[in-house]
Amino acid sequence: MKRIRFITVTKRVFQDLRNDKRTLALIIIAPLFAMFIFGLAFSGEVKNVRVLVVNQDHGVHKALSVSDKIISNLDRAVLDVKQSGDEGAALKQVKDGDAFAAIIFSADFTRSVMSGTQGSSTGENATVKVLLDKSNINVANAITKTINDALLKTMDSVGKKPPVSIDAVAVFGKNAKFMDFFVPGIMAFVVYLITTLLTLISFVSERTSGTLQRMLSTTLTERDIVLGYAVTFSIVGMAQALLLLVVAILVFHITIVGNVLLAFVAIALLAVVSQAVGILLSSTAKREAQAIQVLPFVILPAFLLAGIFWPVEAIPSWLRPLSYIVPPTYTVDACRAVMLKGYGIGKIWIDFVALLAMAAFFLTMAVWFMKVRKD
Amino acid sequence: MGCVTDNDSEYMVEAKELVKRSVKFSAVDHLDLRVKKGEIYGLLGPNGAGKTTTIKMLCGLLKITSGEAHITGKHVPDKRIASDIGYMPQETALYPGLTVHQNIKFFGEIFGLGKREIEEREQRLLDFINLAEWKDELVGNLSGGMKHRVSLACSLVHEPTLLLLDEPTVGVDPELRASFWDYFNEIKGRGRTIVITTHYMDEASRCDRIGFMRNGNLIAEGTVEELLELAETDGLEEAFMKFAEKVDRGAEL
Repeated sequence: MKRIRFITVTKRVFQDLRNDKRTLALIIIAPLFAMFIFGLAFSGEVKNVRVLVVNQDHGVHKALSVSDKIISNLDRAVLDVKQSGDEGAALKQVKDGDAFAAIIFSADFTRSVMSGTQGSSTGENATVKVLLDKSNINVANAITKTINDALLKTMDSVGKKPPVSIDAVAVFGKNAKFMDFFVPGIMAFVVYLITTLLTLISFVSERTSGTLQRMLSTTLTERDIVLGYAVTFSIVGMAQALLLLVVAILVFHITIVGNVLLAFVAIALLAVVSQAVGILLSSTAKREAQAIQVLPFVILPAFLLAGIFWPVEAIPSWLRPLSYIVPPTYTVDACRAVMLKGYGIGKIWIDFVALLAMAAFFLTMAVWFMKVRKD
Repeated sequence: MGCVTDNDSEYMVEAKELVKRSVKFSAVDHLDLRVKKGEIYGLLGPNGAGKTTTIKMLCGLLKITSGEAHITGKHVPDKRIASDIGYMPQETALYPGLTVHQNIKFFGEIFGLGKREIEEREQRLLDFINLAEWKDELVGNLSGGMKHRVSLACSLVHEPTLLLLDEPTVGVDPELRASFWDYFNEIKGRGRTIVITTHYMDEASRCDRIGFMRNGNLIAEGTVEELLELAETDGLEEAFMKFAEKVDRGAEL
């Protein structure tokens, strides 16, 4: 009878699942993992963004200062507001990446607003000058929006609708398009993902096919093999980055401000880290099929936490430490700083240190894990 | 092509009190093993007897829990022995995405052989295993028997003095098995030593000496004639059973 036949199949498959604890765990953990990470990462608005305020406004009659009101109306959940003495110092801080924007109120700001309010539409326009780091579009948009909200709220309380405008000056990322922001991120993501995947799968087949054993029976050591892979994949990673860059320049007309070579070094380092991660993960799998099960744990954290699609600043601060243990985070940061802001090694060395440390750690672990398996 | 080693001992492999213990059991349990230079030594026994574990310890692929082993007089594990050993794993252990030529070349280059040297040896090996015209075929496209032959070639390319062959004839059809034994005898004829594991009793008769392995230890050792005489039978399988029974009886006493 048909019904009985298919039930025997169903039973057998369940039996298989019961016997295979790994698959069982995957079935349970992976969806939760995905849901939590997606949920948490998306729920986060841009928060705690460092912004400087240079308030030169004299106000009128001492009592009234519109700029003070605007500043107090800035949403402190989004912006971490710090006072700054003068425009030059503030600009330098934005340029150095210590702040995302400087909001500047001129000396006669309140007077302009009041005269604009009292006078006709021909009255002078009051302007809030914002020196903005536009290289990170989500953050830039959040800043502009927050300032705008504060303006509207203040003007409502002051009286009519004054013609106050925001004059946003792009410190970085002038005319930055989404692709300019996105390409450095996707470069890192693709290299991380593909390198990890390739090493994972090819190393599992090295193990299962016996070629790893054959190699280890020769004069090759575990370290030789790991390094051999590392070199291969750092080259492959750079080739991938080159391909992406060329296409991005030709097709999407992205603009690159800084020294692309630095970005390539960051990509190559990431590839080295990724292949070591792949080798490490391969020791958890006995068959090719099992290797596929660890993929969600490779892909999702990078996808969601590394600042590829939305900035690390948009991730809830308590979740951010996780971002800093996901290797592509550093490459994304370095590539963006170089390509959009034109930063040199002096300003992104910390990313390189992090990548080098991760490479050393994961390479050592990969070798160590291979040796441990001899026991 | 002679067997050149720097020690004067008549033994190529010498293992004393060799133990491999995992969490649950001892795969190899105080094994004493001596393989003479220039002989074909067959490690014979059922699955789980510890044959593969023994081979892997000799190759340095598994750590020795206790006891010690020497190959060509050098203490195992030692990477300096690696170029003396040609290890052929149970699995095919080839890269299916590479051609026959590329596989052989890779395993030659590991030992630092030059391009000319590899090409010469490869040609000889391909003639030897009758696969000269398949040189540029992807290994993945070859039949199982062909892969086995290529695998053997990859273990020979650096001209090792000791061949450790782990069940090289499992899943191989009788015809190819016969030609494999022709290969082995030819390799032996060049002064090499071969240690071969198998659970095919009929193959054992082709070895110079046999060690019956069971539960991680040798239960009997000698030439085929010696073993048959000792067990007073005319079949190796029966001989194995008799030795096993004898050991079990001894354990009960």
